[in-house]
Amino acid sequence: MTGLREVGKRRPQAGIETRIRGGAIYTQDVTLPGMLYGAILRSPHSHARIASIDVTAAAALPGVQAIITAEDFKNRRYYHLGGTYSDRRPLAKDKVRFWGEEVAAVAATSLSIAERACALIAVEYDVLAPALTPQDALRPDAPEIHGKDNAVAGRNLAVRFSADYGDIAGAMAKAHFVLEDEFAHGIVAPCCMETNGTVARFNPDAGTLELWTATQAPYFIRKEVAHLVALDEHKVRVRSVEIGGGFGGKSKVCEQEALAAMLSIKARHPVKITLNRRDEFVSGKTDHAKRIRIRTAVAEDGRILNRNVSVQIDNGAYTAYAPTYVGASRQRTTCLYRIESAHYDCDLVYTNKVPGGQYRGMGAPQTIWAIESHMDDIAKRLNRDPLEYRISQANQPGDVTPLKWRISTCGLTDCLQNVGKMIRWDEKRNSPAPLRGVGVASMIHPSGGVIYQEGNFSNSRVELTGDGQIIVHTQTADTGTWQNTTLAQVAAETLGVNTSDVSVSHMDTDQAPDDLGSAASRVTFVTGNATLHAAEHLRAKILTGLSQQWNCGVEDILIENAVARHGTEPHRTADLTEIARLVGPLSADGFFTTPGERPDPKTGEGNYAATYVFGAQAAEVEVDRDTGRITVLRMAVAQDVGRALNPTAVEGQIYGGVLQGIGMALLEEMVFEEGRPVNASFLDYAVPRIGSAPKIDISLVETNDPLGPYGAKAGAEPTINATIAAIANAVFHATGIRFKTLPMSPDRVLAALEERDGKKPALKPWKRVYNAEVAAVRVMYPGVVFPALRKVGTKFARLPEKSKTPRILVPGSIAELLEFPSNKDTKSRIVAGGTDIFVGMKQGIYAPDQLLDVTRLPDLQGISLERESAPVLRIGAATSLDSVSRNELAARYFPALVSCINLIATAQIRRVATVAGDLCQEKRCWFFRSAFPCYKLGGSTCPCFAVLGDNRHHSINGAKRCAAPNPSDLAPLLSALNARVKVIGKTGIRYIPIEELYLWSGLTKLEKHELIEAIEIPIVPDTSSAFRKFGLRQGDFAEASVAVLAEWSDHRVRSIRIFAGAVSPLPMRAIAAEALLTGTRLEPSLVSAAAETIVEGSLPLHDNEYKVPLLINLTRQALLAASSHSA
Amino acid sequence: MRIDFRINGIDQSIELSNDEMLVNVIRERLELRGTKIGCGNGECGACTVLVDGDAVCSCLIPAHRVAGRSITTIEGIAKENELSPVQAAFVRHGAVQCGFCTSGMIMSASALLAVNLKPTEADISHALAGNICRCTGYRQIIDAVLDASGQTPLGHEPS
Ligand code: FES
Ligand code: FES
Repeated sequence: MTGLREVGKRRPQAGIETRIRGGAIYTQDVTLPGMLYGAILRSPHSHARIASIDVTAAAALPGVQAIITAEDFKNRRYYHLGGTYSDRRPLAKDKVRFWGEEVAAVAATSLSIAERACALIAVEYDVLAPALTPQDALRPDAPEIHGKDNAVAGRNLAVRFSADYGDIAGAMAKAHFVLEDEFAHGIVAPCCMETNGTVARFNPDAGTLELWTATQAPYFIRKEVAHLVALDEHKVRVRSVEIGGGFGGKSKVCEQEALAAMLSIKARHPVKITLNRRDEFVSGKTDHAKRIRIRTAVAEDGRILNRNVSVQIDNGAYTAYAPTYVGASRQRTTCLYRIESAHYDCDLVYTNKVPGGQYRGMGAPQTIWAIESHMDDIAKRLNRDPLEYRISQANQPGDVTPLKWRISTCGLTDCLQNVGKMIRWDEKRNSPAPLRGVGVASMIHPSGGVIYQEGNFSNSRVELTGDGQIIVHTQTADTGTWQNTTLAQVAAETLGVNTSDVSVSHMDTDQAPDDLGSAASRVTFVTGNATLHAAEHLRAKILTGLSQQWNCGVEDILIENAVARHGTEPHRTADLTEIARLVGPLSADGFFTTPGERPDPKTGEGNYAATYVFGAQAAEVEVDRDTGRITVLRMAVAQDVGRALNPTAVEGQIYGGVLQGIGMALLEEMVFEEGRPVNASFLDYAVPRIGSAPKIDISLVETNDPLGPYGAKAGAEPTINATIAAIANAVFHATGIRFKTLPMSPDRVLAALEERDGKKPALKPWKRVYNAEVAAVRVMYPGVVFPALRKVGTKFARLPEKSKTPRILVPGSIAELLEFPSNKDTKSRIVAGGTDIFVGMKQGIYAPDQLLDVTRLPDLQGISLERESAPVLRIGAATSLDSVSRNELAARYFPALVSCINLIATAQIRRVATVAGDLCQEKRCWFFRSAFPCYKLGGSTCPCFAVLGDNRHHSINGAKRCAAPNPSDLAPLLSALNARVKVIGKTGIRYIPIEELYLWSGLTKLEKHELIEAIEIPIVPDTSSAFRKFGLRQGDFAEASVAVLAEWSDHRVRSIRIFAGAVSPLPMRAIAAEALLTGTRLEPSLVSAAAETIVEGSLPLHDNEYKVPLLINLTRQALLAASSHSA
Repeated sequence: MRIDFRINGIDQSIELSNDEMLVNVIRERLELRGTKIGCGNGECGACTVLVDGDAVCSCLIPAHRVAGRSITTIEGIAKENELSPVQAAFVRHGAVQCGFCTSGMIMSASALLAVNLKPTEADISHALAGNICRCTGYRQIIDAVLDASGQTPLGHEPS
């Protein structure tokens, strides 16, 4: 298609002018007169009966305007997929089924009042045993989560599906070999930067409801909310706002919309609910965990005779759209590559966990990871190059898949060849550098599939206003994908105007005709076609109008560059304003529905989509043998996009999709304990940061689909599909290790590398006296200790009181600070940077009555050289980390200090966090930080959750009743540097060596009325120092760190101090290693031997054994770094 | 407590409630809503503003600490009608998708370029590690920052 003027061009993002200046209005920015704030009371149990709910005390709180419970919604449930799948109420009734489920909601004049009111709602629960994994839930004696009305396929089974495609027996008879494998992964979350939120305004006089809500699909919001609050759909209007990311997480109704609506109806005021980040993890729609078993029958020539796939999907506590997710998984497994026959079966299992929803790819990234890992193994067995083998099996135009998909345009072969070229496959594959590897994977994705019960249709409206503006009205929502830009380009191209002449108004259900929303890869294709039709109709209307005005035939008029011209009378022209004056205002609608066939309900067979998207990705990775970190050096991505309507937009989708795929592959996974997420924050749940972004080469393959608008197919969603697989195959190439669980995080990778190499460091646990006792208790933990403490002990837990607002006092001098009244009823805390305390108060681990802000105290600031007796570097306690890292004295005398600080947190945090704050920060154990009633938080009657729970971050050494490690990076370093703190108290000054500062992780020897004034580091000549740290992601807390100070004389180590952090509750001194190295020249062989001894006396837990080799390796690195300074 | 400070070049005087965080003052009191809240805990950088030129998370700064200081938010970074070099480069490189992280990104990038005229990709990574973007995959952001500092971007053509 030639001569295109707008389509295919790099146009800037629609609306960028406002967005780039901070002027765009997102839901959290919507503020209406008289607006109230809503808060949600959530279930503190994974499974329980609700015996009673008493709102009296909450209602009496001044400022509370409305409280709602299940009763307010009568018996209505979300439609979701309807029928037996309709299993959820807006607020729990009778029973709660997951930790965090919505039980009641309050609207009040401020958020803090609403939150306090929630705390005053008295709910009595009868706790039930939960079923937390699909395996548990499928046991015959498993607790029943839903009754038979919803668990129609068996106990806790929402769906049980099984179908055969093609002649399986015939295929198996021809098999040269059969390969079988199993893959599994946990739950990831979309993590839109804008959390879910809604502002609802009920107008009591008109009986109408308006909703400003962060959604991808106004259509479904209106439908669900109207039904739940018993209004006619036409009385509900979804308004236009900006959306801060969707990725599927906002593709259907969430929970806060109906709650805000009902609160507004009851309070007769607008109500805003904004989920906080924690709630977003706890209750927002996540992806699903899956277990995927594959068995493939392969012919001698490599043909895939049969692919047999068995999948188990964790539904969570309620069914949102998971039956569709089952369909998506069936499609990928039966349609990627030329397959002769197939079998697919799947269980969708209820568990007492957060309900799964949709996330970019609908499970395809992990499904394809399983299939493509398997394909690599097949290629290996066949002794064929994985890229060449894939090309030989690639889908081709005209193919019909076992699921009866009829492939029309298909650029898979080109895509595979292109990524091979871009990544320099032959060279890298055949002669890889050590610990480097390349891998490749393909993907398939429907474009314009019949995914909804409604089918898959779009209406779009294009308007020429009276003043000559062109506006596209669409009910879809641009969540950041640039869909509004590409829709504008389609309209502009069709109308003969410039893209900049067209604006797009999205979402408004009163202004735009019905459309199913921005999900399931549908906007470019389906809404794009509807917009194309609408623009054609509008163009026809304009031409007709002009031909009447100009007395000519429509064929005599040409519109180009936003100017209409009379073909034979060139002086007759009209720009848009003039056109509007002559013939406007005008508007035209366009409709498009996908020609895909509804799949057979029993088997899923049928030509489901209008067309299909293909693509391939190749990855080059490097694996760090010392730490297990996988670095993606480069990705090559080729995608059959039909036509790139706007290359910048498609490339943006590829960059973004690939990075989300890298997150799934290497970093992300929700971790649960008792069904409750323990890593519900961006600190603990690692979304990729900027340092994870590899170089990406892109090839857009244009197959010009006959059904697509200007030839385009879906582009945004499937960019993620092949990423995990390509990386996993590259890792296999680099290491020979096939990972069968995700993510391939450093802890797992390092453990696997150690196992591969048969390494087993000598732990010599007897070297630590307490270990025998600790080991004995650990043996009894599962059967005796934990159940008793959990059941009985936690009843006596004394947890900090929540939602208290402390007074902030700002003393002008230390003397004034020490004078502040403090008694046993007033809990005071000193706050400096506050980066720990302000967060900890929200986590429920601190509840001070007053905060004493010491940042204004001059004595606590600054860095200076003091030479009273021996020279020391004095750092004021409240000096920010950033000030230290930029300080010349610090850089001159203690380069290790500067490099250590640069590894702490992020630029913004280092700017305010202080040196003493880093030393005194509270422990980071994720059970403690999630306010579990643990030993440290709840008191001595409570258990340590880390013994049986996920303890990958915990201590390998020195744990007793608490396994939390010391979180400070400065603690081991300053201990090694022999630094001390100067402490001021009412009774005077004292000094504590930092190595002796701690009683436990997060607990110092400071008394109540004491404060650290400064840190003093002795400056000793002829020393070298080094610091090494490993965190799982950029800016993360350490999993292990090692600091070394060596004092030299005559090229030999006169004395050496070695401390480790993050592996034990206190900074851990490596006495044996020090002894081995004293008097030596730190020769590499000695260093290695000494490093091995640092783990002696360790007693790792079940998930943190990787810290053993990690610590050894970091110690070796730090020692070698310190030795190179010796000259 | 009453505090005086300057924001986007304008002097302000505000009576604070005790526990107010800077982000609340900026968004709710002064209605400068270009500064976003993505986590409220210093983990995402959406709320990044400049305090005396330093990029900080306004969700973690108790408002009383900005007394006497000068704050710049996204609304104050453009010179009159002209976009700042960082903003203009973000537009050119398509470095914005949903835009929710954008204000914070631009503040962090501006703080970097104020002290480092020619940052390397590693410098950019170090300075922007506190700003999460879930949409863009960061490539176009890195290119925009390189371009804004007069260096050749590594990636794709600008539009
Ligand atoms: S909102 Fe402040 S860092 Fe996320
Ligand atoms: S553009 Fe959406 S988070 Fe960055």
